[in-house]
Amino acid sequence: MSANRWLATGNYFTTYKEEQRIFFTHTDRLLFSFFLVCVFVWPLIFETNNTYMLVVDNILIAMIAVLGLNIVTGFAGLISIGHAAFVGVGAYTVASVSRVMGNDYIFLTHAWPLMILLSGFVGAGFGAMVGLPAFRLKHLYLAIATLSFQMIFQWTINFMEFFNQGQTIFIGRVFWFTGEVGRNEHYMFWYYVILIILVLMGFMVRNLLRTRFGRCLIAVRDNDRAADAMGMHPGLTKVYAFALAGFLAGVAGALHAYLYRGVGVESFTLKASITYLAMAIVGGLGTLNGSFWGPAAIQMLELQVEKIAEHAGDMLPASINLATALRPLAFGLVIVLFLMFEPRGIANWWRIVRSYFKLWPFRY
Amino acid sequence: MQDCCRFDKDRKQTGKLPLVFWGNTTTKKGGNMKKHKMMFFRILMSFVVVLSFATSIQAGEVYKLALSLAITGPTSDAGNPYAKGVEDYFRFVNDTKLLGEDKIECTIRDDQYNNDVTKRNFEDFLGQGIVLYLNYSTGSTMGLKRDFEEEKIPVIPASFHAGNLIDSNYIFLPIASYSEQIIGLAEYVAKNHKGDKAKVALFIHPSAFGRGPVEDLTKAVKAGLNIEVVEVVEHGQDLDNTAMLKRLKSKGVQYVLCQTVQSPVATMLKDANSIGYAAKSFGEADKITFMGAHYTGGNDLIALAGVAAENFFWTTSYRLTSEKSAGADAQLALAKKYGRDDKAANSHNYTNGIMVAQVATEVIKRVKENGQKVTRSSLYDELNQMNGAKAFEADTTVGPVTYSKTDHAGVDVLQLYRVDGSVFRSVGVPFSSEYIKKIK
Repeated sequence: MSANRWLATGNYFTTYKEEQRIFFTHTDRLLFSFFLVCVFVWPLIFETNNTYMLVVDNILIAMIAVLGLNIVTGFAGLISIGHAAFVGVGAYTVASVSRVMGNDYIFLTHAWPLMILLSGFVGAGFGAMVGLPAFRLKHLYLAIATLSFQMIFQWTINFMEFFNQGQTIFIGRVFWFTGEVGRNEHYMFWYYVILIILVLMGFMVRNLLRTRFGRCLIAVRDNDRAADAMGMHPGLTKVYAFALAGFLAGVAGALHAYLYRGVGVESFTLKASITYLAMAIVGGLGTLNGSFWGPAAIQMLELQVEKIAEHAGDMLPASINLATALRPLAFGLVIVLFLMFEPRGIANWWRIVRSYFKLWPFRY
Repeated sequence: MQDCCRFDKDRKQTGKLPLVFWGNTTTKKGGNMKKHKMMFFRILMSFVVVLSFATSIQAGEVYKLALSLAITGPTSDAGNPYAKGVEDYFRFVNDTKLLGEDKIECTIRDDQYNNDVTKRNFEDFLGQGIVLYLNYSTGSTMGLKRDFEEEKIPVIPASFHAGNLIDSNYIFLPIASYSEQIIGLAEYVAKNHKGDKAKVALFIHPSAFGRGPVEDLTKAVKAGLNIEVVEVVEHGQDLDNTAMLKRLKSKGVQYVLCQTVQSPVATMLKDANSIGYAAKSFGEADKITFMGAHYTGGNDLIALAGVAAENFFWTTSYRLTSEKSAGADAQLALAKKYGRDDKAANSHNYTNGIMVAQVATEVIKRVKENGQKVTRSSLYDELNQMNGAKAFEADTTVGPVTYSKTDHAGVDVLQLYRVDGSVFRSVGVPFSSEYIKKIK
């Protein structure tokens, strides 16, 4: 190990344990702690509004969902085209309680942390169930199995009276120690809740990747036959990966339900699944920090394109409606460009930046 | 020096600063200092003068409204002309000073029929300080219902779903609900069908928008409406409806009532014509007569279905440009003034947008005339009083717009139209549903 734990510029590991550290240097730990303090403190310093906080909350929820997708697709190498359905399972777990017991039922409004956890476990159950074909199926065939789940989910919600046929099922306002969380503080409250969950989940996934299971995931992704020969169980590893992804998606879904104070099927369609996949690709598949970059990049891109489209709409003659088509166009273009020129996603840019500063002022 | 004294004299006489100064104020001793002071003073006073003029020019208030709708994406064929109607009418209001010096600023934003985006837009609009909100889809209106209640903001959506009004105080439907439209059509069938009880099928959109009237029609039938609902078909994205039509025919269906958008209806009409099932006149024996609610018809349907649209019966509360009326003329003039193409100008959803903007403008105007401040609360109260002698004649609709505390559906009468020679023509006079009152 480097003598200087603050400014280690190279790889000085002498044990596996050292290599598995979460933070390689004290500087990394300090900077990360500073970053965490910043994300917790900034809403108290800067002026915020509901729209802004809703956007930020949405990004954080997408990060939790993409963390799950990254486990199954990025680390385990299993393409999932039904991730929004898993998110939907979490949301509809909350909605089901609302439907049966009423939207102001005390368990929903007071024991919401338990509801979020419960939604995660239900999501994990569905994840494991959908992952079962992974014992037999691989590649595109497995992708089609996840697509089938997406379709079945949408059909079930759309046609079952219990789920209000996809129409909004309301969720009551939650309570905190200070009383009911009102409209004015709603988005700020959920910002902190989601942020805390995201940090916990982030550390959970980071730690998971340091375990035997984490190494199994990567081994199975790289060569499942070799992994099998080395004593791992590729089938079970894949099912676990799906279950874990389902758990994270379920938690994200429950948070979505509480944030929007209602659940409607439109938020969990195939389009949303594709968007999650795009977030994972743009962020960087198989990287932990890619799960944070992707959702932020895609959602900010959408917002910016929306603004440009609005300005373009004002400037172009009224008969030209092309301005509003800018959003889907930009979305598609970004994914194609990333796939062509930066398949490792934004996470790779982050790696390059970090390497630069690690070696600074020397180039090598 | 003389001028400077004149300034002092003026000040002594009036006790106020004169607005305009001119002349040299330099003295020999300390002249430069004084010159600078006077220059600064002049600039300051000029600024005050300009500011006072500017303030008097912009004396009018700006009322902020907003609309979030699907300009692109699903149902944008309706949303696009609707947005143009709203935009053009508010431009007209501002350009012609219908509200005097006051102006309406209506932000229109595309949500691509995505409820999450609508929610974000709505929060943004609230931040801008809107006093009235114009929403669009059934899903988002239902989803945001609680927010409307909490914010106590009057809302006029483009959705005519009766469910919007349940557990809601602030939503005002522009015209009769989908339920009223479908029940109205069913009543027409019951009255004009020759023979035993008419067998009817519903052809609906697989969403809250499509399913809206199903339950109410079932209630009306239970309340004595003399028809039999044989089947409710939730269409997918089928490119061929032949099998479905044959099934309906085998069940003896004579009338199909549609609650969806134009394209699936057009597909069905084309198929019905190709297999010879479409009736050439209302209730033709051994054939099927097709009828539909507001969003199924209009010129877009004729454009999509071509000659297959002949004899399609359609109901809405709006006047059409295919028939001469003051509202139609005004609509065409408005479209021409703001450079809209023929398609938009003649769209009933352009009319729809204009009418909603008309109601919003009228209610603002009335609040102003009452000497009240235009706020969410005053607009809400005024909308609730829009009945009796205070009912609003919009010209673009076949009846007056009426709201009260207990009735939040605007135009209560409907007009039946029929495609004749590739043009929608009125059938009879405007009517209102009897059974909708019975099942309420």
